[in-house]
Amino acid sequence: MASRCTTFPPPFFTPSRQRSRQCEVSLSWTRSLSGAHESPLSSSHALHFTNRANYSQVKHRSRYMPSAIRCSAQTAAATNLGPGTPVRSTSILVVGATGTLGRQVVRRALDEGYDVRCLVRPRPAPADFLRDWGATVVNADLSKPETIPATLVGVHTVIDCATGRPEEPIRTVDWEGKIALIQCAKAMGIQKYVFYSIHNCDQHPEVPLMEIKHCTEKFLQDSGLTYIIIRLCGFMQGLIGQYAVPILEEKSVWGTDAPTRIAYMDTQDIARLTFIALRNEKINNKLMTFSGPRAWTTQEVITLCERLAGQDANVTTVPVSVLRLTRQLTRFFQWTNDVADRLAFSEVLSSDTVFSVPMGETYNQLGVDAKDIVTLEKYLQDYFTNILKKLKDLKAQSKQTDIFF
Amino acid sequence: MALRGSAIAPSPTNGGLSSPFQKWNNASANFLGIPLPNPNSTISTDPNSWKRRAFVPRGEMEKERANKDEEGKQPSVSITLDDVNPVGLGRKSRQIFDEVWRKFSELGQISRTRTDESLDQVLIRGPMCEFTVPGAQDTTVLVVGATSRIGRLVIRKLMLRGYKVKALVRRADQEVLDILPRSVEVVIGDVGEPSTLKAAVEGCNKIIYCATARSAITGDLNRVDNQGVYNISKAFQDYNHKLAQLRAGRSSKSKLVLAKFKTEESLQGWEVRQGTYFQDVIATKYDGGMDAKFEFTETGNAVFSGYVYTRGGYVELSKKLSLPLGSTLDRYDGLVLSVGGNGRSFILILEAGPAADTSQSKLYFARMTTKVGFCRVRVPFSSFRPVNPDDPPLDPFLVHTLTIRFEPRRQRPVEGTSRPTQDLRSFMLIFEYIKALPTGQETDFILVSCTGSGLEAGRREQVLKAKRAGEEALRRSGLGYTIVRPGPLREEPGGQRALIFDQGNRISQGISCADVADICVKSLHDSTARNKSFDVCYEYVAEQGNELYELVAHLPDKANNYLAPALSVLERNT
Repeated sequence: MASRCTTFPPPFFTPSRQRSRQCEVSLSWTRSLSGAHESPLSSSHALHFTNRANYSQVKHRSRYMPSAIRCSAQTAAATNLGPGTPVRSTSILVVGATGTLGRQVVRRALDEGYDVRCLVRPRPAPADFLRDWGATVVNADLSKPETIPATLVGVHTVIDCATGRPEEPIRTVDWEGKIALIQCAKAMGIQKYVFYSIHNCDQHPEVPLMEIKHCTEKFLQDSGLTYIIIRLCGFMQGLIGQYAVPILEEKSVWGTDAPTRIAYMDTQDIARLTFIALRNEKINNKLMTFSGPRAWTTQEVITLCERLAGQDANVTTVPVSVLRLTRQLTRFFQWTNDVADRLAFSEVLSSDTVFSVPMGETYNQLGVDAKDIVTLEKYLQDYFTNILKKLKDLKAQSKQTDIFF
Repeated sequence: MALRGSAIAPSPTNGGLSSPFQKWNNASANFLGIPLPNPNSTISTDPNSWKRRAFVPRGEMEKERANKDEEGKQPSVSITLDDVNPVGLGRKSRQIFDEVWRKFSELGQISRTRTDESLDQVLIRGPMCEFTVPGAQDTTVLVVGATSRIGRLVIRKLMLRGYKVKALVRRADQEVLDILPRSVEVVIGDVGEPSTLKAAVEGCNKIIYCATARSAITGDLNRVDNQGVYNISKAFQDYNHKLAQLRAGRSSKSKLVLAKFKTEESLQGWEVRQGTYFQDVIATKYDGGMDAKFEFTETGNAVFSGYVYTRGGYVELSKKLSLPLGSTLDRYDGLVLSVGGNGRSFILILEAGPAADTSQSKLYFARMTTKVGFCRVRVPFSSFRPVNPDDPPLDPFLVHTLTIRFEPRRQRPVEGTSRPTQDLRSFMLIFEYIKALPTGQETDFILVSCTGSGLEAGRREQVLKAKRAGEEALRRSGLGYTIVRPGPLREEPGGQRALIFDQGNRISQGISCADVADICVKSLHDSTARNKSFDVCYEYVAEQGNELYELVAHLPDKANNYLAPALSVLERNT
């Protein structure tokens, strides 16, 4: 415990000091799953376990071992069938279907006539809205690899929009879970794998989530699956909760003075473009970046919201340096590491990175008209004109917030 | 906070564990008679305070927060027992801390968003969603054939757009229920059994019919594709009438009776006339002349019969229409006549103009063909053409006289009769009723039929016959209809290829089920879709190297409503 507290967690790509030890661990399920096709997994795989000693998950790992063996037996049987029974190209599995992007992907898929299966974690309040739309919901947890294979039976395409919840350790879902999923997909002959990543993730290895995304990209590219990797910048839907609602409710809005610009994009557009890309054979095994029409700083977004709402926001500006400092501090303690991970983007924010790419070529490739992509002005204006009244009604009805004991 | 809220307004479900605490809390609030402070409003926005807190680990910060709260409260005058209650303070400080911490940590992220229930209401179901159709919540759609290839997709699309959906299925097996989304109301019934349909149409505003016979047996085809459409449309009309009666009015979808020929008195006002288009004095001396009568026979039929042997002659039956008080024909779309006879064709003539001055009336005509035996003929107002080409198109509001004219010209011999020598100059027409079909903005009934291409040659005739009969039944029902005749169905994602809308059986390509479902759902609120029948298929794309034309097509997009422009050029009442 003492050692953990004092060690400064090294970044992912450290030379594998503890490799010999890690190999034993990695024997558990990963190797047995990929047994049929040994090939490319090993190269990028080691990085997965380099950090192992710093995290308490070694314990958990051993717990998964018995079930992992069962899992490999199943896949062995499946791979022996050769090409296997044909799967309808309209059957897709959406991972992370309850998320901001995932639900839009599900809606789009259903509307375009796909048969959609949603992989969601077992939860006390089931995601009924997915069933209401006509999707099939299957319970599985990426952090429990033995639950994955059954969900992939009869699936043609996997669309992976999952990411860990903010309150849980970043590696469980985003790294270990994804690796398990990709390996399962490979073993079970999934014919296309769509993975959402983050723009510029290769340039910021100091941010854990971005590094994980980048490593997962590499892992997927090496896995031999037919893939599409889509890098995203930011979601307009997120701005509503962060800025638009507090401004309407005259609560304080927190912003940074970061010069970072982000080209926010409507998740509905992302979902739409995804399916156009999915059907286009020319885009197989490509990496695309989707970004919105214009890049915005936090301050600009707040100003826009103020203008549209017709009232001044109570803005609290937090200097990025404070965020960074907090992150550095929280990294000292093992038990605040998750907090540090959550604040990790402050590293990116402090640089004047622009999260945006010119989309002209992508539009051409996909055959999409640039004017069909929603701009942030249009999106927020829609929100303020449409929702203003409705939201106030809703809030008035339910004043009840969380219960604190 | 929630606990406190419920303490003020105690609910019976909240008894249990926390009740002693609640009681105490309640008592204190009542005793002091001071409203409880709202912790939400106490969020500090002082930049110095959060900076300090941000550096301190969580537990300490909480304590500090609590302390600060206490300090802050001490000097204030409105201090209550509740404010210094350590449990309340702890809870409040925890809440404040959580809020502050959440906001703080959100800053350090790019695209993570928390999912909030109230936001869901707006972003997922509300108008911020590209699928949402205004008014969908108030529209209940009955989907007949919910388990069919198209039906399943139609239901999904309706659910995504927020409609209330009823699904008519024959059996509610687990297998069937699994296909349907959960909040679909499942009704068990069979379109072949009119008695089972009453419950199905209850509360519905619109119907999408995508059921089809699973076999090529004539009985099945007739039952599902023909009789089924009739039964459902009848049940729906009955339901509309019932609703209207409850309101002590007329259903806007009900037909208006212009004339009913049940009794001898009903023949009053009808006037038989004869005339010629041109005067040929010499010829008139030698030909057989003409005669016609309109009478009520002993068998209870109103029969208009006679002969016209004169060249250029005609006989006609005419009546000045007397509409019920308050109704005018401009709220109606056309006429439907239930007649029997020997298969002649007639000309319907409407006189329109100011009722007071008949000399200014203008004449409009439309041809109506009948079959041997009884049939119902639908003649839309839009098919009436002015006799004088310079006159404006027919305005149903001004119509005051209806005439049915027989002339020997352009009569076609009846097909397949045993008496080929029948004289085409004689005629007989038995009247049952004449009604006006109501007009409306939107379609009430969408029928998915078929074009017949893609069926095996042996089956095609049978299937088409049943489908056409079903279409006819729907057209005569008085409901606003849309008949979609897709090409051979393919099970693939929709929205990929340009679609061709056509009238006239010329299509050759297939179409995906999802596109057909999309057309059905889009038609629900599209005024251009009302009373139209059309074929639809993918655009023909030549094979590589065989292109004759350059392809100028684009993908259907969320922004483009392809349906309205495509349908607006097609003809109505088809």
